[in-house]
Amino acid sequence: MLQQDHYKKSVYKTPFHERTSELNILNEWTRWKDYTVSTNYFRTDLEYFAVRNTTGVIDYTPMVKQKITGPDSDEFVNRFFTRDMKKIAIGRVGYVVWCDEQGQVLDDGTVFHIRENEYWLLCVERQLDNLGIAAIGFDVKIEEITDDVACLGVQGPTSCSILKAMGFEGIEHLKPFDIKHYDFQGQEIMISRTGFSGDLGYEVCMVNEVALNFWDDLFDKGEIYGIHPFGLDALDLVRIEAGLLVPGQDFMVAEDAIRPGSTRSPFELGLSWLVDLSKPVFNGRQALLEEKKRGSRYTFVKLNINGNKPAEGSYLYNQSGKKIGNVTSAMFSPSAKANIAFASLHDPWKKGKDKIVAEIYYQKDLEWNKVMEEATIVTKPFFDPDRKRTTPAELY
Amino acid sequence: MTRKNKNIAIIGGGHNGLICGSYLAKAGFKVDLYEARSDIGGMASTRELADGYLVPGAAHLLHQIDSGIQKSLKLKQHGLSYAASGLKTISINPKGNALIFDDDNISGDDITLREQDQYKEFKTTMKKLSGFFKRAYQSPPPRLGSEDRKDLSSLMKLGWNLRTMGKDSMRNMLKFIAVNIHDVLNEYFEHEHIKGSIALDALLGNRLGPRTNNSVITYLHQLTGDLNGVQGSYAIPKGGMSSYTQALQKAAESAGVTIHLNSPIKQIDLDSDNKVKGLILENDDTVQADIVVSGIDPRSTFMCLVGAKHLEPTMVHKISNIRMRGNTSKLHLALSGLPVFKGVEPDDMGHRIINAPTMKYLELAHDFTKYGQYSNELPMEIIIPSIHDDTLAPKGRHVLSAIVNNTAYHLKDGWDDSKPKILENCLNQLENMAPGIKKLIVHAELLSPVDFENEYGVTGGHWHHGELTFDQFLMLRPIPGMAQYTSTIESLYLCGAGSHPGGGLMGLAGKNAANEIISRES
Repeated sequence: MLQQDHYKKSVYKTPFHERTSELNILNEWTRWKDYTVSTNYFRTDLEYFAVRNTTGVIDYTPMVKQKITGPDSDEFVNRFFTRDMKKIAIGRVGYVVWCDEQGQVLDDGTVFHIRENEYWLLCVERQLDNLGIAAIGFDVKIEEITDDVACLGVQGPTSCSILKAMGFEGIEHLKPFDIKHYDFQGQEIMISRTGFSGDLGYEVCMVNEVALNFWDDLFDKGEIYGIHPFGLDALDLVRIEAGLLVPGQDFMVAEDAIRPGSTRSPFELGLSWLVDLSKPVFNGRQALLEEKKRGSRYTFVKLNINGNKPAEGSYLYNQSGKKIGNVTSAMFSPSAKANIAFASLHDPWKKGKDKIVAEIYYQKDLEWNKVMEEATIVTKPFFDPDRKRTTPAELY
Repeated sequence: MTRKNKNIAIIGGGHNGLICGSYLAKAGFKVDLYEARSDIGGMASTRELADGYLVPGAAHLLHQIDSGIQKSLKLKQHGLSYAASGLKTISINPKGNALIFDDDNISGDDITLREQDQYKEFKTTMKKLSGFFKRAYQSPPPRLGSEDRKDLSSLMKLGWNLRTMGKDSMRNMLKFIAVNIHDVLNEYFEHEHIKGSIALDALLGNRLGPRTNNSVITYLHQLTGDLNGVQGSYAIPKGGMSSYTQALQKAAESAGVTIHLNSPIKQIDLDSDNKVKGLILENDDTVQADIVVSGIDPRSTFMCLVGAKHLEPTMVHKISNIRMRGNTSKLHLALSGLPVFKGVEPDDMGHRIINAPTMKYLELAHDFTKYGQYSNELPMEIIIPSIHDDTLAPKGRHVLSAIVNNTAYHLKDGWDDSKPKILENCLNQLENMAPGIKKLIVHAELLSPVDFENEYGVTGGHWHHGELTFDQFLMLRPIPGMAQYTSTIESLYLCGAGSHPGGGLMGLAGKNAANEIISRES
């Protein structure tokens, strides 16, 4: 059940708040949907390095969670999402996008195929309305369970060791995108080998009642493995390195867009692998078939930009100075030792022919400077260690 | 593949299905038509009320039959003739002063010369406006945002039609199009009885009150019909309402359409790519077809025969939001003699009698509808067809057919409990209008919107397969993105009243659909 007392509280505290507020010595918070969460705990870069070198823990309880149950669940999800959902077996998680009628992406998220006829959809934007509309004619039940489930991301090289030390037997045998249920103090908790860091990592979903005990046990067992909490700022760094998109930053949520042309189709976000046009029906299929014929308006690329100045919000030009796109996310990557960015390119850019030049502004002692830096397209994620995939997971 | 070996299966043997089938067969397609009932005609058919008494099942007057269709399908040769035409409208009121509308003239009920002129002026203006619709009805509406040459030219034609109406009419069109008939009539008239009588034409068959916006469009739509060149004129076919659809049946059969009666459809058969394969009948027989054309309403077509699972969610959402809550019932009486209505000359009893004394009366009736209730005073359109056609009742006896508006599909107390009460109310109302009529009643029945849904399969029992309002009009009919008689399912077309230009017996949806199919499929 969703909490109904917004008017009294303005924002909710997550079930972990008692602990996160102790650790958040900078007292830096932001609102994420109905909750307040930490942007930084002690130092963004150190939080970032905890995720990359040991283990970082993020409270992502505000992530919108919807439960789909009922005899038609399989058919329902297969028509709602653009990819072939039959490939996501019970006990597996899949990355998904879904579209409006015009084939424009509404949001992205992960679908947990928990058991027969039960799926959970975790995403950024509330989808009760879209799911409800899509449920007409299907024997399914759609519920939002955001407030009932507390979630932690446990990400980094030592994450598996910590969970094993907590007594979760066989956790190292989970393959990427596997789900396993465990008992924790008499309550069922769900651990999946998923996350937003592009590294070895897990996500844990639990009922609110055991949240604090789980946190305490996690940090207790994790101490010798270098466990630290991390906030949304550090999360943004690791997810760019991992090549993961954020709705509202890397693309407009189609429902929120005002201007025509400001939305993106899955093809225009480099997500054609998530679209199965051989399925007879899903929302946006007709429009996507037409786009296939006609050609897309935009191309999504990952860029490696010369120099070390992050190209945040930069305009991109070709060799003759024509604007060919803009940067949606950018950072200097400590792990890749590269100046990296996501960008959306459009006409007159020609693949393989045109150069890409970023117009980067940066400040030196209050004064703005500008450099024009050439960029090259990168096809692989910027950060992609083998341990992300190795099963059984390595115990550091 | 040439036309000759493309099989077309049409669902529903109503007038639109028959007309569409006739044109397609004439163009060389092999056409099979499937009708669930044991006779053809759907809501334009004859029904046996009691032994020897025949009444029109739903629609009871012919108007708005497209003259092009009449000619090209040779309906006269196929047996369509009128028992009476050019019917006057006689609007009765409780005081017994009837108002008589004869084409553009009115008389009775203390009408002044000025009011007669006002009425002429009003009709002239409205006929001009409805002429715009009439032209737009003759072809499929353009798709918005399309760059197709055909769409652009029909969009231009729409604009041109508006432009060539002249400054005054164009101004009137923009002024009237979205407002309500109540305000428009108040601008022209003071006489309450005139206003009520005209307003009824805007409301009949729809779920509107005079003050509901959009009620001007429904009025203009009603005016588009012409019969023998007289705009908005009414007629009664000889041999009962079925004779119209029987003439269409003969036209269809002579064009080569094979008609299958008693063949209800369970499902439109789709292949794994969601392309039409054929039909599955209720008895599980399958029929192969290259093209399926549905003459039944869009909601039943997509939600029942195609199934939500085969459609994109947004499409399903739009289809399930088509406004089609029926509001109209039918009252049928078998009478042992001819009743006498207060204020109606004995010679005028065969004309169209309406009960709509004032706009307030109509608005109040609508207020009840809004809340799932019913008024004790319901607006009616009454005819006694047996005066013109002695095949409908035993000698010296009569049948009365009345359309009763403002009887909502969703009634708070449910139709099972309400129906006897509404019937009793209607009979009491009639007794007031025609004292002594109750004693003449041999048999009486009331068919509710729920009965229409069960009997004819039309969702909500809505006569027009969806309200005829601005948001469900032209290229927005039945839903945005599905105009031009096509659908998102390949080779599935629509030809019923749920498509442009909508309800009534005009048959243009069937004809336009056929033209569209011919141009797309050959």
